[in-house]
Amino acid sequence: MATRYLGLLGGLLIAALTCAGSEARAVTLAPEVQACLECHREPSMELMLPSGESRSLYVDEEHFANSIHGDKLSCTDCHSDIEGYPHPERTFKNLREFTLGYYENCKGCHFDNYTKSLDSVHYAFLSKGDLKAPLCVDCHGAHDVTKPGVPKSQISKTCARCHAGVYQQYAQSVHGQALLHEKNGDVPVCTDCHRSHNIEDPRTVAFRLKSPEICARCHGDEKLMQKYNLSTGVLQSYLKDFHGMTASFYSKEKASPSALTAVCTDCHGVHDILSAKDPKSSVMQANLEKVCQKCHPGSTGSFPAAWLRHYEPTPEKAPLVYYVKLIYQIFIPFVVVGLMLQILLHIWRVVVSR
Amino acid sequence: MPSHLRVAGTEKSHTSFLVRFSLRQRLEHFSIMLLFTMLALTGLPQEFFEARWAQWLIPALGGIDRVRWVHRLCGILFTIGAVEHLGAVVFLVVTKRINLSMVPSKKDFRDAILTLRYYFGATEEEAQFDRFDYRQKFEYWGLIFGSVVMIVTGFILYFPALTARILPGDLIPAAKVAHASEGLLAFLIVIIWHVYNAHLNPDVFPFDTSIFTGRVSEERMLKEHPLELERLRPQRRQPHSAEAVANVPQKGTGSGPP
Repeated sequence: MATRYLGLLGGLLIAALTCAGSEARAVTLAPEVQACLECHREPSMELMLPSGESRSLYVDEEHFANSIHGDKLSCTDCHSDIEGYPHPERTFKNLREFTLGYYENCKGCHFDNYTKSLDSVHYAFLSKGDLKAPLCVDCHGAHDVTKPGVPKSQISKTCARCHAGVYQQYAQSVHGQALLHEKNGDVPVCTDCHRSHNIEDPRTVAFRLKSPEICARCHGDEKLMQKYNLSTGVLQSYLKDFHGMTASFYSKEKASPSALTAVCTDCHGVHDILSAKDPKSSVMQANLEKVCQKCHPGSTGSFPAAWLRHYEPTPEKAPLVYYVKLIYQIFIPFVVVGLMLQILLHIWRVVVSR
Repeated sequence: MPSHLRVAGTEKSHTSFLVRFSLRQRLEHFSIMLLFTMLALTGLPQEFFEARWAQWLIPALGGIDRVRWVHRLCGILFTIGAVEHLGAVVFLVVTKRINLSMVPSKKDFRDAILTLRYYFGATEEEAQFDRFDYRQKFEYWGLIFGSVVMIVTGFILYFPALTARILPGDLIPAAKVAHASEGLLAFLIVIIWHVYNAHLNPDVFPFDTSIFTGRVSEERMLKEHPLELERLRPQRRQPHSAEAVANVPQKGTGSGPP
């Protein structure tokens, strides 16, 4: 606390000394921010780094004022190492190291999200020494932090700065098209499936096996699916079938499964997912054979027909399955009740005879 | 002279025993008992995988992959057993070593009706049975037809891609339904019917050991298979007379299907 007050005092002192006649702006910034800006509003202000890179020290006053922190924070809340002028000497070899130097500054307020980010695949790369892995400011910005997800498409565009290939696929998908062209807020953006701070490595078996759950968050939502005339039965029909049953057992097993089993994305696609009614869709009857062959190499001919395409067996959709089921539904109780009656009669007769 | 056809007598009591099941039949029963148990243990939790007991049992047995592996292995062994049985029966019938004592006849239907009438007290006359009564035939043929369904659908599910190359694809989900339902039916029949007849039935309680020892007392034969005993009688006048039985297998006393 003392440091902060000292910093603030120092700022005020500088402000009072150097710029008595600063112009008033529409956005009112805290006096201590104004104090810092006395120097840092100079666009040409920069720091030369040993790597030869230069780091601009310019702060756009308007950006900061309009940022989510504009009316909440002052400079030294984040730049807590700076107490006054002259600033303490800090040595950064290069630009990335400069950013990394401020990495921990957000956690003072955003401790929960900071902690979550430690579980992320990004942090895993960072801790292995990959300094390109994104830090808070790489996604959120620094002085110009705005509320994330406004508009929603901004999230995917943020990820696209590094994951351009994935973004291009996504933009063509049924979800991406709705997001970008219809401004549809129901469709998932990157973070809806991958989460934001604790982004998991999506290439693991555990993530694969969890993925039906991710899809089901929306595709199991009755109200939401009704809006688009989609069935919520897809999860149940998947889980009841061979693949879904296998996946749900695999996901509970400690050891890694010996084989892969199909999850939603194996048939429907991941980022490039299309409407099942789209002729280009991988799950379109005409394209299904190729999809099956990804896991069942020898499968040809009628093999895709083995999959009931999420339908419950009805006389129209799958007559053979329906009637086999029906026959047994009648036959099993008939036999069981018949045998039990015979047993009861036998016991009764034995008792009577005695 | 096959030893299993010898009449055994216990010296302490004066009960004499007849050999009812050959060693092959006893081994067949023993292996089918083990395989059926294993198949039910690994098959039923796959069908009712959403139930809590199945959610517990499958991991307890070593996970879904191992459960499936054991199930398929037992299925293959079961198929080998079925082929062996079929081969043995065909061979024994062709070489006239057994007659077709397991084939249902008109008498079985009459016996069933008579027994029902007896149960209801409409008659005091009890049906008299030969080597196999109608209930035993029902269970045997139930097992045969059930096994055919289980083996065929089991292999369809084991090799779906191969199946689809020659047969319509919707046969595969239909086979899945049939395999699960037929398996459940077989399980229920064994639990209700077989356990009653072999254990809980007041006549044999607590345990009908004949399929394990191969022997049945003459007293029981008289009660349960009097017609068979009657046919054997002429040869049974002398001691060790059952040896003679083996020499006249066309009388239908030999190793018919279990």
